[in-house]
This record gives sequence, structure tokens and C-alpha cells, in this order.
Amino acid sequence: MGMLRIMSRRGDDRIVWDTKKVNANDPEAVAAVREAERIFNETRARGATAFRVESGKTVERMDTFDRTAEQIVMVPRVVGG
Amino acid sequence: MLETLSLFLGIWLLFLLLAIYYLSQSPDGGMGRFRESVSEHLSAESRAKVLLREMLTENQYQQLIKFGYLEVSSPTIDSRVYRIPSAGGLVKVYERGCAVMELCLQPAEPLPDGDVVVMHKLMIEGNEEEYLQKANHFAPGIISLRCQRL
Repeated sequence: MGMLRIMSRRGDDRIVWDTKKVNANDPEAVAAVREAERIFNETRARGATAFRVESGKTVERMDTFDRTAEQIVMVPRVVGG
Repeated sequence: MLETLSLFLGIWLLFLLLAIYYLSQSPDGGMGRFRESVSEHLSAESRAKVLLREMLTENQYQQLIKFGYLEVSSPTIDSRVYRIPSAGGLVKVYERGCAVMELCLQPAEPLPDGDVVVMHKLMIEGNEEEYLQKANHFAPGIISLRCQRL
């Protein structure tokens, strides 16, 4: 399973997709992963930063969407206070 | 003295309850919007808490609860530790146990407190260079110059 989590004032919004079903071209899973990719690109264009967060691994910044990622967390644009 | 204080608190609570009651009876939906806003806030905080639990180890979570901060080691600078407060504020930076600076960085849009902690943690661990570039740096302990031990 893959998950995209976007932080916002509402808490985090999530989109989940089944990687196995995506690989099997299941229409619903493919639509979910496309939607996740669209939101990923749109949110990054607004200045957000994406991180790949996987258990037992170090956190990695992501510049392009990866449908094989276990979990992607998007942090909104930050500014010095 | 204690009795006066109790009386004052009692009266204040009574007024508060009355105000809430009258607002809830208001036909213009003012209280409805208020309730909705409170509900959204609680829901956001609750989701943020879930994310926080998932992003932190048990020890990290306990540290945050007990001490009010989360310590994250720098991935690039040996002996550097970032101390992220649980309820907003400056991130303190320690090297070999001494406070070396304080950082101020915030999301451009408001986030629940738990999400802000996760935001700092992810940026330090996955994007430290940019984190340091974007944050405003302040000297530690402007009032006291004494070295703060961890």
C-alpha cells in the first residue's frame, strides 16, 4: 500500500493506493495513484516539500512522485519567523 | 481569600455557561458556525496527534509528553541536537550539550501543534540544509549567557 499525506490546517489529508492493484492496472487503484500524483505536483508547485517516510529507513526528501513509496508526507511551504 | 476566589470563579463559570446556552439558542446560526469551527479544530488536532504517534518512536513520543520537547539529532553535524518544542516556539540547537543557537521557522499556513513538530522533524532529518537556510537564527540565551546543559 502507498499513502500520500498532505499537512494542512485540517490535519493531514490522505490518499491511499494499492501498489499491487496499480501494477495489475486495476482502474480504481490507477485513478487513486494518478490523483495522488496530481496533488503531489500541485502541492509542490505551491512551495510544499515532500518526504519519503518508511519504517526503519531515514527520511528522504522527494522531488518527483514515486508510486512505490510506502508513505509520502507533504509539508507546506515554510518561512523564517 | 480562597473563598473570594472560589466565588469569583463560580460566577465566571456561570456566566460562561449562560453565554454558551444563549448562543446555542441563537436562530442566526452563529453558534452553529462556532460549533463547526470548534469541531474542525478538534478534528484537526486529533488527526495531528495520530500523525505524530506514527512519525515518532515510543521513546520520542514519551520525551515529548514528559519534557515538552522532541530531540532530533542532526544527520550531518556530529553531536548536534535540535530540540523541538511541543507547543510552538523556537527550536533550540545544542552541540556537545551547549546551546549554540535558536531557530525560528514556521509553516506559511497554520498547522495543528502536532503537525508542526512533525514538520520540524522531517525537515531536519530529510532537508537540513534548506531548513537551516530558511530559519531565522538567534543567539541562545540572550538574557543568560550561561551554557545550558542538556
